[in-house]
Amino acid sequence: MSRVLASIGSAVLALCREIGGMVLLLGYTVALALLGRFDRREFVRSLYKMGVVSVPIVAMTALFTGGTMVIQSGIFVQRYQAYGLLGWGTVYAVLREVGPILIGLMFSGRVGANNAADLGTMVVTDQVDGLRALSIQPIPFLIVPRVLAMVAAMFCLLILGDAVAIVGGMAFGKLLLGVDFASFWASCADAIKLWDLTVGLIKGCVFALLIAITSAHYGLQVQGGAVGVGRAVNDAVVAAALLIMISDDLLTMVLR
Amino acid sequence: MNRAGAKTRWGHFFWAAARQLAEIARLTVLGAVRSRRPKGELVRQFYQVGNRSFLFVLVTLGFTGMVLVFQSCLQLSQVTGDLSQVGSEFIKYLVHEFGPSLTAMMLATRVGAGIAAEVGSMVVTEQVDALQMCGVEPVEYLLAPRFFATLVMAVVLSVFGTLSAILLGGFAAHQTFHVPYAVFLDFDKVRLVDVFTGFVKALAYGAAIPIVSGFCGLRTSGGSEGVGWATTRAVVFSSFAVIVLDFLISALALLTWQAA
Repeated sequence: MSRVLASIGSAVLALCREIGGMVLLLGYTVALALLGRFDRREFVRSLYKMGVVSVPIVAMTALFTGGTMVIQSGIFVQRYQAYGLLGWGTVYAVLREVGPILIGLMFSGRVGANNAADLGTMVVTDQVDGLRALSIQPIPFLIVPRVLAMVAAMFCLLILGDAVAIVGGMAFGKLLLGVDFASFWASCADAIKLWDLTVGLIKGCVFALLIAITSAHYGLQVQGGAVGVGRAVNDAVVAAALLIMISDDLLTMVLR
Repeated sequence: MNRAGAKTRWGHFFWAAARQLAEIARLTVLGAVRSRRPKGELVRQFYQVGNRSFLFVLVTLGFTGMVLVFQSCLQLSQVTGDLSQVGSEFIKYLVHEFGPSLTAMMLATRVGAGIAAEVGSMVVTEQVDALQMCGVEPVEYLLAPRFFATLVMAVVLSVFGTLSAILLGGFAAHQTFHVPYAVFLDFDKVRLVDVFTGFVKALAYGAAIPIVSGFCGLRTSGGSEGVGWATTRAVVFSSFAVIVLDFLISALALLTWQAA
C-alpha cells in the first residue's frame, strides 16, 4: 500500500518538476523577449533553419490533409447529395481544426525535435557551460531567439499550409467526387469568415509557443550522452503532442 | 557542381534510401514471421509500446473527441438546431477515420521516436556492430519484435482511443449542448465496412511506423547529434507515412467498398 502511494507521489512530484521548469522557462523567455534582450542574428538564422527548411514537409502534409478531408466529407456529401456543402465542410475543418493540429504535429516533429536534439547535443558536449564561462547567458542567446523564430515560422507555415490544403482539396474534390472548382469555391466564399482563419492562426501560434518551450526545456535537461539526447527528443515530442491536444480543446471552447 | 550533377546525386541518394528501406522492411517482416527472437523480448516490447502509451493515447484522443464534438454541435446548432444526429455520425467517423489515424499520429511521436532513439544510440555506441560480429542479424533481432508489438498495439490502442474519444465527446455534448447520453451513444450507423476500414488503417499504420523509424534509427551516424537527427527524422517520416497511408486507404475505401 505504502509502495503504491510512494510511486504515485514520486510520479506527481516529477510531473510538477517538469511543469514548473517549463513555466519558469516560459516566464524568462517572455520577459526577455518583451525587453528585447535577445540575439538578433541568431533569430534570423533560426528563422531560416526552422521556417524555410520546413516548407516542403508542411506543404506535402497539407496537400494530403486537404485530400483526406475532401474524402471524409465526400462520404457524407454522396449520401445526402449535398455537393454544395463540400467546399464549406473541407475549408472550415482545415482552417479551424485539422490544419493547425496536423501542421502543428509535423512542426513539432520537424522543428521541435530538431531543437531539442540541437540543444541537447550542446549540453552534452559542454557547449552551454562554455557559453556560461564566456559570461554569455544561454537563455537570451539560445532560447529566446529560437522561441520567437518558431512562433513566427509557424504563423507563416500555417498560412502556406492552409492555402495548399484548400487547393489540394479542390483538386481532389474534382478528381474523386467530380465537384467543379466553381461550386467548391462558391460554397466556401459564402460561409467561410475571416474569423475562421484567425482562430486557426491563433491556435497555430499557441501550439508553436508550447512546442518551443517543451523542446527547449527537455533539450536543456539532457543528461548522459547520445542515449540521453534520444530520450530527450522523445520526451519533447510526446509532451508537445499532449499539450497541443489539451490546449486545442481549451482554445476551441474560448474562441467560438 | 552543376545542376544536372546535383540532380543525379539526389536521384542516387533517394534510390539508395528506397532500396535500403525496402530491404529493412523485408528483413523485418521475415524476422517477425520466423520468430527467432530473444526470450521475453516480445512481452517487453508489448509493454513498452502498449502499456506505456496507453494513458497518452487516452488523454490525447479524449481531448480531440471533445473538440470535434464541440465544433460539430456549434455548427449544427447554428444551421439546423437538430443535434440528435451528431452522436451517431461522430461515432461513425471516429471508427473509420479519426480513431485509428489520430492514435497512429500519437504512436508515431511516442513509439516511432522511441524506436529511433533506442536503435540510434545502439548504432552510435557500436552495439549493432557487435551484434553483427556475433553473427546476429540486427534487423531481425532489434526490429522484428518492435514491428510485431507495434502492429498489434496499434489496433488495440486504436480501439481504446476511439472509446475514449466517444465517451469524452458524449460528455462534451452533454455538458455544453445538453445532448442526452442515450441519444449521443447511438452505434446504429456504424456498418461492418466502417469497422473494416478502421482495422485496415490501424494495421497499415502499425506496420509502417516501426519500419520507417527503425530505418531512420539504423542509418544513424556520428554521436549524440546523429541520434538527435535520427529521432527527428523518425517522427517526421513516420507521421508523414501515417498521413499518406490515411489518404490512400481512404481514397481506396471511398472508391471501392465504402461507396454508398
